[in-house]
Amino acid sequence: MAERTKTTKEILEEKLAGRERIPLYSPKALDKLRQEFDQWKNTVVREEDQKNWQVTPHTILGSDIPREMLYTPLSNPDFDYTQDLGNSGQQPFTRGIHANMYRGREFTMRQLTGFGAPEDTNQRIKFMLAHGATGINIIFDLPTIQMYDSDEPISTGQVGMSGVAIDSVDDMDLLFKDIPLDKVTASLVTHYPSNTAILFPMYLVLAERRGIPWDKLAGSVQNDITMEEVVRSGPEYIPPQDCFRTQCDNIEFIRQNVPRWNFITYNGYNLREFGTSGITEMSVAVANAIGTVEEMLRRGHDVDWVAERLAFFWSPANDFFEEVARVRAVRRLWYKIMRYRFNAKSTRSLWMRCHVQTSGISLIRQEPLNNIIRAAYHALSAVLGGVQSLHVDSYDEAYSVPTEQAALLSLRTQQIIQAETGVTEVVDPLGGSFYVEALTNDIETRILDEVDEIEKMGGYVATIEQGWLHRKITEYFYHERSNIEQGDIRVVGYNIHKAPGELPPIDVFRYPEGVEQKQKARLATLRERRDNEKVNSALTALREACKRKENVVPYTTECARAGCSEGEMFKVFKQAYGLWRPPTLW
Amino acid sequence: MEGKVKVLLSKLGLDVHNRGVITVAKELRDAGMEVIYIGNSLPKEIIETAIQEDVDVVGVSSLGGAHLTLGGLLIEQAKQKGLKDRMIFLIGGVFSPADAVRLQQIGFDGVVSPGAAREEIASSIREMVSSRIVR
Repeated sequence: MAERTKTTKEILEEKLAGRERIPLYSPKALDKLRQEFDQWKNTVVREEDQKNWQVTPHTILGSDIPREMLYTPLSNPDFDYTQDLGNSGQQPFTRGIHANMYRGREFTMRQLTGFGAPEDTNQRIKFMLAHGATGINIIFDLPTIQMYDSDEPISTGQVGMSGVAIDSVDDMDLLFKDIPLDKVTASLVTHYPSNTAILFPMYLVLAERRGIPWDKLAGSVQNDITMEEVVRSGPEYIPPQDCFRTQCDNIEFIRQNVPRWNFITYNGYNLREFGTSGITEMSVAVANAIGTVEEMLRRGHDVDWVAERLAFFWSPANDFFEEVARVRAVRRLWYKIMRYRFNAKSTRSLWMRCHVQTSGISLIRQEPLNNIIRAAYHALSAVLGGVQSLHVDSYDEAYSVPTEQAALLSLRTQQIIQAETGVTEVVDPLGGSFYVEALTNDIETRILDEVDEIEKMGGYVATIEQGWLHRKITEYFYHERSNIEQGDIRVVGYNIHKAPGELPPIDVFRYPEGVEQKQKARLATLRERRDNEKVNSALTALREACKRKENVVPYTTECARAGCSEGEMFKVFKQAYGLWRPPTLW
Repeated sequence: MEGKVKVLLSKLGLDVHNRGVITVAKELRDAGMEVIYIGNSLPKEIIETAIQEDVDVVGVSSLGGAHLTLGGLLIEQAKQKGLKDRMIFLIGGVFSPADAVRLQQIGFDGVVSPGAAREEIASSIREMVSSRIVR
């Protein structure tokens, strides 16, 4: 990236500078409005409201964007419909990536599932599908996420907690028992490039075992360096450059071999939940995406070959209109970047496709039933923003993993929005609102400005290495905490309208017993039955590929075929790359 | 009380969620305590560091569900090393009300839930430490 002198913002400014704008409002109408507006403001509006014309809402995970009391065409006087919005399914896709949006395809109801042993999660998946879920979304347990085997000492007491335990292809088989891999779309929440390179091949080898060709598989992985190097607390990290290369290795391998699979989901969500504004959430994901496309071009690939399958993941939080506007803003910005910076040709490449999960950190322990309402508003804002798929958090998540009943309620929340409220009948229903359009413009500018800041520091990987992002996060959440404590951010049932007395009793989830022993026994059987010579030679080949900096995924796939466990593969990464010490957070 | 209160903080096991514990680390430091944060650690390492640094307080953070298993191991090892009477043991994170009670029963001196206020945490630590020293 060193040779690049122009940032994305500079390129866009240059390429868009000459475009003729055709404003929707006539100058005459605007003049008349301006006069009337000034008069109204001076005579009708109370003095104190005039003084506080702009206020800045302070909300959990908010972006502190000032708001005016009333928005009019004057807020956006050179509004050019075709250039700024276009019809749905048309450039710049502000109104949605499809012409008919939810009339054509309902948003996918993809509730996150994972706990206990693979067979426990298999039951919950079937339960959710039986109740109308339309996608699968798997979360792994902490040892699996951090790439340790269930029988390693470091995994003690944590197997099957806050996700499902997966050690090898055999576990993957149990997880997807009776589920036709060629008929469902599965989101595997492999947060990190490293664990994507290890776990996704296990899924592929499972398909092989079942005689399903890889081109019949559809779904997504996460595969995001942000998750491995920034939004994570863990004992061992590989260096950012190796992590980024692995991210790109996954993309390359999956694109070549599993054509319908979404090989990366830029995860703004967990970054924001960790502690950033909605602006930083998106600017970081976009900067990472720009860096990825650049790297893939450097590897000799065509831009459309990569860009058609990029996906994003956002966290809709409390500031309702900001959330609607954010999704619209980043969709337009992404279009501009792909079209004008990367010269993408395929329409699909120009689409910012996204999954959202309602904000978890916005949920409050006190009076947990209030969280049902919070999550419903989060979900509604996402739907009004035109997202592709949804997970709604459960009200009991400030206590534990959701109970079956709470998980069902989250699914029902989505179904009620879809079937009962009528909001899906009209595409981009808030489009054209003076307020929402002004906010959309403002947010787009702010995201691009932060992308610019990142690029000027030397690009996204450099901002990780230098600790810029780590510092930004801690400053944000420390500040947010003070705002809550001082009451600047109001939280019902917590710092305002507090209920007296004890917390009400709540029925919480209980993890199944004996998962650790079960997984340990399975690993013992695996290690006994597999051809250990094959295992060793597969691991050796992987080690050599790591050292040559060759694409590692063909080798991890061979390891999965040979019956290697996750921890065995991660050990190879650690030995080959060495460990990295992330910046201190406080 | 003489000198600064010395606090050891850690993420328990492999739990990935560190926003809470880092917030507490900064706040306790701002409140004038000496804070050592060692990141993700297993009970054995936490106990070893606690002895080595001779701390007043050991605080662990768990939002990943392993509070009873790993928390239990921590207290067990603290008892074996005779630390339970010398040091305050605190646990923070995401627990059900029943588990919060259980954690106190197994020997944690304090259980900190999401939403606990800055002042609440700092002052209760001071109280616990001074009452222990007086005794």
